[in-house]
Amino acid sequence: MRVELTEMLWFEEHAVSFSELSDLTGLSPGILEELVGSGAIEPLDPASPEPRFGAAALEAARHAHRLHEDFELDTQALPLVLGLLERIEGLEQQLQALRARLPGRIR
Amino acid sequence: MKYKDYYAVLGLERGASDEAIKKAYRRLARKYHPDVSKEAGAEEKFKEVAEAYQTLKDPEKRAAYDQLGAHQPGQDFQPPPDWQEHWQSTGDESFSTEGLDLSELFERLRAGRGRGGAHGSMPGQDYEIAVPITIAQAYQGTELDLDLNMPEYDAQGQLRRVPHAFKARIPKGASDGQRLRVPGKGGKGFNGGRNGDLYLNISLRPHALYRASGHDLYLDLPLAPWEAVLGTSVEVPTPGGLVRLTVPRNTQAGRHLRLPRRGLPIPKGGQGDLYAVVLIVVPSVAGEQEAALYRQLGEISAFDPRAHFSEEGSYAS
Repeated sequence: MRVELTEMLWFEEHAVSFSELSDLTGLSPGILEELVGSGAIEPLDPASPEPRFGAAALEAARHAHRLHEDFELDTQALPLVLGLLERIEGLEQQLQALRARLPGRIR
Repeated sequence: MKYKDYYAVLGLERGASDEAIKKAYRRLARKYHPDVSKEAGAEEKFKEVAEAYQTLKDPEKRAAYDQLGAHQPGQDFQPPPDWQEHWQSTGDESFSTEGLDLSELFERLRAGRGRGGAHGSMPGQDYEIAVPITIAQAYQGTELDLDLNMPEYDAQGQLRRVPHAFKARIPKGASDGQRLRVPGKGGKGFNGGRNGDLYLNISLRPHALYRASGHDLYLDLPLAPWEAVLGTSVEVPTPGGLVRLTVPRNTQAGRHLRLPRRGLPIPKGGQGDLYAVVLIVVPSVAGEQEAALYRQLGEISAFDPRAHFSEEGSYAS
């Protein structure tokens, strides 16, 4: 059976609500609330009464859910780990960008 | 059903204490967890470790597992006749262990006990797969055939691996590290539970000529010394076809010559740039006449490539 996929969403372009974010990631509303409160997961529009969450938040919330389930990390430790993971990802991107700029033969 | 030795996966003896099980899990999770490990095969290894821990950390499941007896890993076995009766409390006559994986058997136990069995709803599982594509595919967009084995609940609430064939359309402009979410195309939810999502993690395969950085591409442009000095015009390959590039006089090695909008397309519109990184290369063997010309050049040239060595402050003082 062939299934044609029609709806593909770029992470970057599709924002979700608080409850959708909780549903999508399996992260409980209570923990999500705390992570948003501590700034570990940021909405696109913090001032809005009904905030929307973008790609970075979805990725962070999925990480948070896995780390909570697999390591029993609490809401004290999660922001710390999420922050470090974000920094590592940023550094890896920088490293890749620098590698691309280097001539291939001397790498 | 193939036997898996959960104790061996965690590096433990059968009688290990709960504390030892937790410790072993923590040690291995730290090593192999996909969020923190870059080791090859870490994700697969972590799944094994997590599966073993899920069963052994729960006293009831551990007792059920222990009663299956010890077998060789990978050995075919069936649970003893009274095992099912004892551990399967939902009274579901249709339950059969045939074709089930060991982890699915224990998942089924959990579903039966904890989540109301056939009467409760269960969300489908999310599924995440790596999708390596070529630079040509990223440039033009592509359709990929994906064959997945997804865990799914069947009508009886049993978790089964179901083969799914997908045709996934990757829009043009996908770049390394980007993710696509395909809503509802993960595992099917059971009894009204929502379907899981399918996540596609895009990566670009290495290319013989181009290196990608976001939507920009970098290409090595080797020049002969005289081309770099005198300037020239060269044909440069780009994903969209050959482009003529003017190399100005006195082009230094390492310089980046920019070809605007010749990189990868950007999904929201526009296109990245292509940078030609200048390399000055010399022939590995110079003929007699060439060597004579270079000698002559050396004699008449006033160029000192190391002039800055003798500038003030260049010496260690």
